[in-house]
Amino acid sequence: MLKIDHLSKKYSNTLAVDDLNFDVNPGVVTGFLGPNGSGKSTTMRIILGLDHPTKGRATINGLDYHDLKEPLREVGALLDAKAVHPGRTARNHLRALAASNKIKRSRVDDVLDFVGISSVANKKVGGFSLGMSQRLGIAGALLGDPGVLLFDEPVNGLDPEGIRWIRDFFRSLANEGRTVFVSSHLMSEMAVTADQIIVIGRGRFITQGSVDDLTANATGTVIVRSSDNAQLTSAILTLKGTVQLVHDNDLTVSGLTSDQIGRAAFEAGITVLELTPQRASLEDVFIDLTAESVEFGGGKIEMPHHE
Amino acid sequence: MSNETTLMSVATSEWIKFRTVRSTIMGVLTFVVLTIGLSVLFAWAVRGHWHDMSFSEKLTFDPTSTSLGGTQLAQFAVGVIGSLFITSEYASGAIRTTLAAVPNRARLVLAKLLVLAASILVVGELVCVTTFLIGMRIFSGVVPTTSLSSSPVLRAVLMAGVYLTLLTLLGFALGLILRHSAATISVYTVLLLVVPIIGLFLPQNWQNDFQRYEPLSLGGSMMSVQPQSNGFGVWSAFAILALYVAVVLAVGATMLQRRDA
Repeated sequence: MLKIDHLSKKYSNTLAVDDLNFDVNPGVVTGFLGPNGSGKSTTMRIILGLDHPTKGRATINGLDYHDLKEPLREVGALLDAKAVHPGRTARNHLRALAASNKIKRSRVDDVLDFVGISSVANKKVGGFSLGMSQRLGIAGALLGDPGVLLFDEPVNGLDPEGIRWIRDFFRSLANEGRTVFVSSHLMSEMAVTADQIIVIGRGRFITQGSVDDLTANATGTVIVRSSDNAQLTSAILTLKGTVQLVHDNDLTVSGLTSDQIGRAAFEAGITVLELTPQRASLEDVFIDLTAESVEFGGGKIEMPHHE
Repeated sequence: MSNETTLMSVATSEWIKFRTVRSTIMGVLTFVVLTIGLSVLFAWAVRGHWHDMSFSEKLTFDPTSTSLGGTQLAQFAVGVIGSLFITSEYASGAIRTTLAAVPNRARLVLAKLLVLAASILVVGELVCVTTFLIGMRIFSGVVPTTSLSSSPVLRAVLMAGVYLTLLTLLGFALGLILRHSAATISVYTVLLLVVPIIGLFLPQNWQNDFQRYEPLSLGGSMMSVQPQSNGFGVWSAFAILALYVAVVLAVGATMLQRRDA
């Protein structure tokens, strides 16, 4: 089990991680979701003992990373797929890693085989595509057959087939009772990959739960088409809902349920032609939750005026 | 058998890393070719000019150190080998992979030192002895020669290898501090070449005191058969240079320990 205990990390003037406090449990895939620059990678580096926390600690089965006797047998990690000497072959890279932790040489060929890069094992890593590098990084993480696995943005650079492969792979790792902690800034990816999701923004904990938990609490929108959109809009506004004209005659209403809208239309004598509740997607929830914590938000786009 | 990582398992890993990149192979090749090649050129030049040399030049002529002339340039090659052994890990970010596998940073430094010192010492001694033997072959018949059966000569030749090993470690130690290949190689070159030039601007009576503490002069003292009039003895020179390296290493290791990777 992975325990993040009131962890903070300050770099000169920026607080990259701000009092994070959560557990990552075995047997499930836990997603670590946040916009770019929200402190996910920093947290992972601290777990691996690479960066020193300013406050708090991160422990693996109760121990600091530095106190692990056989680190690669307890934790496998893929932080940055390109963090390999470009002039070394994939096999030699893994052999050196294995030797440091007294892992048998035969294991190197096993993991190369498993991730499907045996055919390029004797090629220099510098010539690898990002996808191949990701696979090599995964091979490295698996070398010691560890119980805890960390992956930082593992989907980057993978082709659709690779993405499907990696999802199934995370699932099988979790089914074997391992702790699987996967970071991503893509909510759509997390929605299909993770069982549990921890959302952070600007280094701070925002929320935690299953995909269903997170979407259940959010109110969705309702799409309405009626005989008299203008009158219906004023009826909705008096009920403190918000209305947006999507296209043609479709209104998107938020803040009200479809029941409330239907009744309001009936009382105003308007014929409702369509009334479709839209369930909030994880993406909507995520954008809602992190709206204030995005470091570089996109502003309104304005066309330059010709004077 | 326990699977706990040990100094030896980490050293094995570092040895695999050391010999599986081209920069090491090229570095060692440059080192060997420079040392032997330049020494041969020096030896031929001396042989060619021997009859024109003055009496006093002939009197102070030291066949051993002359035959090892190529080490003057080889010391830059070994400095590069030492620096790259650590800075290349920073350049690619591989240092994070390394430190995740070996969280004990002091052990990592020790393992890297072991690999570096052992390999350069072995290659260095082989190269220096070979260079010496070739030099004597070239001198023979014209220029006075000497042989390894004389213990001061043997010591001087072996000390040349020790000198180059210490400089390799100096390059490595600077790399630990600076973490950047170009910066490390620049600082290393400045220490070896530019600092002596600054010494020339010192008042005359300080100059000699300053000069004999420079790495190059210490190397000269280590490789000389006769004690030099204005330098340190062999063992003092070795001790001072080793102390330099130890201090820079201690700073580098402490910084590695304290900094985020």
